[in-house]
Amino acid sequence: MLCQKCGQNMATTHIKTVIGGKVTEQNLCGYCAAKKGYTGFADGSISGLLSSMLGQVMKSDNGVFEQACSCCGSTFADIAETGKVGCAECYKTFETELLPYLKRIHGSINHTGKTPGSTELVVTEFIDKVSHLKRKLANLVAEEKYEEAAKIRDEIKELEGDK
Amino acid sequence: MSCWYKDYDALGGIVISSRIRLARNLSNMPFPRRMDAQMLRTLKERVKVAVDKMQDKVMLKFIEMNDIPENEIKAMVERHVISPDFANSCRDRAIALSNDENISIMIGEEDHIRIQVISAGNSLDKAYEIADMIDVALNESLGFAFDSKLGYLTECPTNIGTGLRASLMLHLPVCESRGEINMISDAASKIGLTVRGMYGEGSKASASFYQISNQITLGISEKNAIENLKVIAQQIVEREKSARADIDKLNLMDTVFRSLGALKYARIMSSDEFTKHISMIKLGVDEGIIENNNIKPVELLISAQPYMLMKNHIAITPLERDEARATMIRGLL
Ligand SMILES: [Zn+2]
Ligand SMILES: [Zn+2]
Repeated sequence: MLCQKCGQNMATTHIKTVIGGKVTEQNLCGYCAAKKGYTGFADGSISGLLSSMLGQVMKSDNGVFEQACSCCGSTFADIAETGKVGCAECYKTFETELLPYLKRIHGSINHTGKTPGSTELVVTEFIDKVSHLKRKLANLVAEEKYEEAAKIRDEIKELEGDK
Repeated sequence: MSCWYKDYDALGGIVISSRIRLARNLSNMPFPRRMDAQMLRTLKERVKVAVDKMQDKVMLKFIEMNDIPENEIKAMVERHVISPDFANSCRDRAIALSNDENISIMIGEEDHIRIQVISAGNSLDKAYEIADMIDVALNESLGFAFDSKLGYLTECPTNIGTGLRASLMLHLPVCESRGEINMISDAASKIGLTVRGMYGEGSKASASFYQISNQITLGISEKNAIENLKVIAQQIVEREKSARADIDKLNLMDTVFRSLGALKYARIMSSDEFTKHISMIKLGVDEGIIENNNIKPVELLISAQPYMLMKNHIAITPLERDEARATMIRGLL
């Protein structure tokens, strides 16, 4: 069902109002519901809550909505309206906007579960370790601790040689 | 293996069934909401190839949802084979299904792939083991979208991370009659679990059958999420058990046998009335009040759902359906 206010997005929030014994019912998308001040608990679902949380950001900050995901074409407005992300790449494109919400939903932004295959994790660790060592090396050189710096440099060489 | 609601040995208890669901996506195409017809075809083809490739590990039949009649799709929801959401939007979508229907892969649901494994009784570990094996096998061909910091990437941010939803279906008639469900539900939500009706989000709890599942998927491992759920479910089970021990035996027997009588002799049985009685029958069987081994409450519960009934009986009006339900139940008792 489409939102009865904007007629464009999927209605995710069902709102029932009783005024003077007269019942009116409305089906709104997360964005329109948030604009009317309904916080998304109306349908009791987390995705309703999310789209209204994101909808509230939209009201206060319109800057991010110009940018579109290069993979699927989603704008952050699309994501905020539906509470759904367009594609895997969106998580990178809108990382800054999405991370605070992930933190609010899950209480964490660090995956600690399963990793598909093992190759990808090894590669990531390798890159992380090298970039970490390079930062460390830069610090040691700045502090003129050349002996330690040489050790780190050798470690980096060894890691890069293993590629 | 038999389908979960016919796995009688495992069904006798407060924990009726265990379910694992993993949400997975391919990395190089938009999530289902943003897919066009061509992308959906490509997705189905790729998944079909991947499913065929793992035939030596698990045999699944690939089915186009367009080939399944509307009523059968609704019956599949009643048997928990597919989600209500998938049933509502399954046009042009597909499913890969095991013979016993305990394993299903929904293609093009909210995520590209939803792997689901159900098993009877308290058996989350067993169900996870199977789901995990399928996940590993499919990933080899499909390469799921994954980020080292955020985990498996999903269309809804509420599933990101492990993409895991583990659920247990519990039968809590006495806790319910004491009005304790809201309290249990509130306590569960404080530690990242949800308590819902038998058919998931938005469904009303029918006759004391409840689903409890994990809500948090990021920052917690699969193993810990499952362990948490098991620990809390066990506490709820203990609560139900001690509540059962407190009931006056004569009163309980009276209630149970009245329900049995109604099911044995009624000529018209509405869905609401039926679920109320079958819950009492299940309680009676589990508490040793009903000693007839031929009474299978969980199988009855599933087979007497509206669309399940329509499969076997040509019932058009609700009244005809209620009559068909009463007839079927009398036949089985
Ligand atoms: Zn709207
Ligand atoms: Zn995108």
